[in-house]
Amino acid sequence: MRDALQTTATRPVLSRLSRDGRARAAAVVLLVVIGAALLAPVLAPYDPAAQLDIVRLNGQSPSWAHPLGTDPFSRDVLSRLIWGTRISLAIAFVAVTLSMTLGIFVGAIAGYAGGMTDAVLMRLVDTAMSIPRLLLLIAVVALWHSVSIPALTLLLAGTGWFAVSRLTRAETLVVRERDFVVAARMLGASPWRILSRHVLPNVMAPGLVAATLGIANVILLEAGLSYLGIGVRAPSASWGGIIQDGAERVGDLWWLTLFPGLSILITVFACNALGDALRDALDPRQLAVSLGDDTSHHPR
Amino acid sequence: MTRLSLALLRRIPRSALLALFAAAVMSCKGADAPSSGTGDVGGTLVIAIPGDVGTLVPGLVASQADRQVTDMLYDRLADIGDEMVTIGDKGFKPQLAERWQWAPDSLSIAFMLNPRARWHDGRPVRASDVRFSLALSKDPAFGSPVAPLIGNVDSVSVKDSLTAIAWFKKRAPEQFYDLVYQIVIVPEHILGNTPVAQLKTADVARRGIGSGRFRLASWQPGQRIELISDTANYRGRAKLDRVVFASSPDFNSAAARFFSGEADMFEMLRPEQIAKLQGDTLHKVVRYPSFQYAYLAFNLVDPKQTSRPHPIFGDRAVRRALTMAVDRRAMLRNVFDTLGTLIYGPFPGTVAVADTGLPQIPFDTVKSRALLDSAGWVPGADGIRVKSGRRLEFGLSTPSSSAQRHAYAVLLQAALRRVGAAVTLDETDFATFAAKQATHGFDAELAVYVTDPSPSGFKQSWTTAGIARDGSNFPSYSNPIVDALLDSASSAFDASRTKSYARRAFETIIEDAPGIWLYQPPTIAGLHKRIRTTTLRPDGYWSHLADWWIPAGERTSRDQIGLRAAQ
Amino acid sequence: MRRYLTGRLLQAVSVVFLVTTLTFLLVQLAPGDPVSAALERPGVSEQVRAQWRAQFGLDRPIGEQYVRWLASIPRGELGYSFSHRRPVRDVLAEALPRTLLLVGLALSLSFALGIAIGVLQAERLGTALDKWLGRVLLVLYSVPDFWLALVALLLFAYKLPILPPGGIVDPVMHDYLPLGERVLDRLAHLVLPVLTLTLLSSAVIARHQRSALLDVLPSDWMRTALAKGLSWRHAVRRHALRNSLLSTITIAGLSLPALAAGAIFIERVYSWPGMGLVTVNAIGARDYPLITASVLVISIVVVLGALAADLAVAVADPRVRMR
Repeated sequence: MRDALQTTATRPVLSRLSRDGRARAAAVVLLVVIGAALLAPVLAPYDPAAQLDIVRLNGQSPSWAHPLGTDPFSRDVLSRLIWGTRISLAIAFVAVTLSMTLGIFVGAIAGYAGGMTDAVLMRLVDTAMSIPRLLLLIAVVALWHSVSIPALTLLLAGTGWFAVSRLTRAETLVVRERDFVVAARMLGASPWRILSRHVLPNVMAPGLVAATLGIANVILLEAGLSYLGIGVRAPSASWGGIIQDGAERVGDLWWLTLFPGLSILITVFACNALGDALRDALDPRQLAVSLGDDTSHHPR
Repeated sequence: MTRLSLALLRRIPRSALLALFAAAVMSCKGADAPSSGTGDVGGTLVIAIPGDVGTLVPGLVASQADRQVTDMLYDRLADIGDEMVTIGDKGFKPQLAERWQWAPDSLSIAFMLNPRARWHDGRPVRASDVRFSLALSKDPAFGSPVAPLIGNVDSVSVKDSLTAIAWFKKRAPEQFYDLVYQIVIVPEHILGNTPVAQLKTADVARRGIGSGRFRLASWQPGQRIELISDTANYRGRAKLDRVVFASSPDFNSAAARFFSGEADMFEMLRPEQIAKLQGDTLHKVVRYPSFQYAYLAFNLVDPKQTSRPHPIFGDRAVRRALTMAVDRRAMLRNVFDTLGTLIYGPFPGTVAVADTGLPQIPFDTVKSRALLDSAGWVPGADGIRVKSGRRLEFGLSTPSSSAQRHAYAVLLQAALRRVGAAVTLDETDFATFAAKQATHGFDAELAVYVTDPSPSGFKQSWTTAGIARDGSNFPSYSNPIVDALLDSASSAFDASRTKSYARRAFETIIEDAPGIWLYQPPTIAGLHKRIRTTTLRPDGYWSHLADWWIPAGERTSRDQIGLRAAQ
Repeated sequence: MRRYLTGRLLQAVSVVFLVTTLTFLLVQLAPGDPVSAALERPGVSEQVRAQWRAQFGLDRPIGEQYVRWLASIPRGELGYSFSHRRPVRDVLAEALPRTLLLVGLALSLSFALGIAIGVLQAERLGTALDKWLGRVLLVLYSVPDFWLALVALLLFAYKLPILPPGGIVDPVMHDYLPLGERVLDRLAHLVLPVLTLTLLSSAVIARHQRSALLDVLPSDWMRTALAKGLSWRHAVRRHALRNSLLSTITIAGLSLPALAAGAIFIERVYSWPGMGLVTVNAIGARDYPLITASVLVISIVVVLGALAADLAVAVADPRVRMR
């Protein structure tokens, strides 16, 4: 059944996805968001860091000149939101790519090597998964005072690979015992060749779902950290950072909380919806089993 | 021994008489009633504070909240009085000392303690407590922040149980103030049995047994600290039954407590919150003075090796140029709307030596750029100036707990970028900020100083001697002219001469531009309408809190609790 | 069964041990040390700092500190909190029950709500109701915790002030109220945090309940049930629900870390002085002993929760019992 899925997967999956209204809507939303991120210099009406007039234009409610209002430093919120899309998405994409790679790498090693290596690695993964990821991040970021955007991305990547590694390990264990793999091994095929030829294709499908959900997850985490004041630093704007800028004034400058909050919600919603649709298209039964704890991992 | 008991005997008639009198006064005020009393006695005041109280030992106070609570629990020998004169003893009002007598050579002062003064556990306050309090403050293992301010006070000797004699090293205009204002009297029988270095962590540090008009009722760390009126107090009971400090994790939730009515007072309202109170029928806005001033400090020495000048700020011209790039008025307006007060040098407008007419470095970006050009800092490819391979880039250290300083940091970052200086915001928790400050380990920082009413406070902050670990000269500013002028200012016995020396010192400091003088934090409290206050003093609005009252007709259910203990 | 139990317990113990080591390492690697952070005032001399280091054993070699740290945990000696100026144990002994109350209530409520919604969806599989509920759940699943809490706070404590803005009880009046009102006061303070947390986590549970039901439903066993003439709804309620609950319990165990993390934000926004708020504040104050201890305690609680869930499944599920 697994083999059947693997070999016939790609085409029907795409056509099933394209027939799913959920997936189409989510894809459109994500394309718009990604477009905004890429075209930020063109789309943003102002320099996101420019303090336009600190005496007359601070904390202005939405108007034609500033459709989403200005923040307490007279910066244009729309421009910051558009540029913030860039930072928030870039962090999420890079972090998830890294963590997927790392997860697959560790999982494959554990599954392939077996024995002590496997036991030790998986016990470490168990441990890491039992500490709330947010708590770990807060502790690390706060103890080191402040982290740059690349460091933050690395941290998010470094704390996001556990579930994927278990997935890969499980898959590797299954593949390893198959006749043709055993045969290939006896013929002297290198472990890497076996991994890339036989294990990775099997991991791709659930991995893709995990990655989509992972992006949603990282966007939420980055926003949460920035809200706690330990994420992306001024004057760079990330979505969570804009909310943080307005957190002290949530009573009167509501537009600083509302718009970035909605942006996060919509983007994360689209990612999750796409992830759901992808999973359904890939065959719900199989994935529900192999993804196990990954999907159960609430995005926070 | 004999002498001591004789002294006691001699005093008995008088103290008995006083006690009788006091009892009469108190009973007619209904102070001994367990309920909320009558007239202007009774009621509850809830103060919302951001953060928590950390210690109840006066010498260890680290925050405003610590200071508020300890000031209310403990008395000094005398109170400075509302005029806040620091020279001689003029204006000082008796507290634990009911009177005092100067030796003819002014090298010692005998303090006669009020025989009715009692610690909250019922033990009498003795002269040995005064001796203990001074010794504790001077003990380096204790690490009290007032230690460097009381260098002129040599010791206290005990003449009899109610007479303490303070000895001074030299005659000085502020010798009385040094002792009486800086030293809070603490009970030897409570604190004296614990090794000094462990006082910070010992349980006794949490008992709060003092001699003030309020006593500690309960303390639930992180939540609230509750004081009740000490009904048998030698200075008369506090009019309010109880004062509760309700702690909240941050500024916003503390403000929320006030607006929701859970608290009666919030002491640091912001402009938009004040606007919200316009037309509010339940609350009122009360402005109170303070001794705080905030400025951007340039570190004049290299944070990596403090014996060398700072690679950027070592140059006076650069400091002046950067000052010219900053529109202080616009920033004040942005952060505080119309409520802020500009400062014109390293002093708040509230101190006696303040002079707001001193010549200032103007806001002029054209001149600023020209000055930087001529100092050798020329714009690089990205607009940031460069001089012999070094970019005009530096960190600005601020504590993340302060919203005002965060706002200023963001504004300054943009303003300095316009003249080609790159500022990175270095926001850390307060402890780290303070540690960097103390070790001169920063490039630039946003400092808020709380001066004390005396010119000697400025000596600590702006003379060469203040660069040492004990002082508060964090920018390492050193100018022998200023040293001499501030020395003269604090040793003059005449207020007008003090002021003229201080003025000349300030003028020199402003010209040297060791910092950009930014603001005096507006101190505006929100208060429930039923609370009646008395004089609010700049060294602490709570100085006379024991005299605040709530008219009987306006009391709410919260005021009916009376003096009973929590269930 | 016994082997399974022993194995599971050993696993839990080793996880706790590793968490302990990890937190210790984390703090050792961080710049600065507890004393420089704790003695924040500049006036403190190097001599006093040294005394402090000695007093708390910070001048010892790292290996010794590690052994001491490990040895002190079973005794419940978690060190001294510099920011609270009290033993860590006392601080956590106050905070932990508060968080357990909050999370326990939210977990029970979201279990009930989540399972009800999941069952409803499965019963009406494919209908408009199923789809709409699915979307609402996905919104709740996607909303940032702190943002939902902030919006709720803004609406129900500021704009429409019907609920208290935070804390666990009225800061003043609570202790002086008669019993009935005291209970009411406590409840009023519970409403916003519990509801927010319940909304957030019931979305997770409902989504799982629905898919767990669908996992069970078309199995041969269910097919037989349906062939016997049972209606779809009846089949869902009577037969599928019981079987699906096992996996939902497992899910609940596994989602505990997420719930704990959610609680950090909820506690922060509503000033609920539980483990989350204590930890965030401790990090702000660089109170190392408190940070390590609270990370440790939260992890232990999470591990115990997961263990309890697994054991519950093991007891209920014959397949696991056999192993």
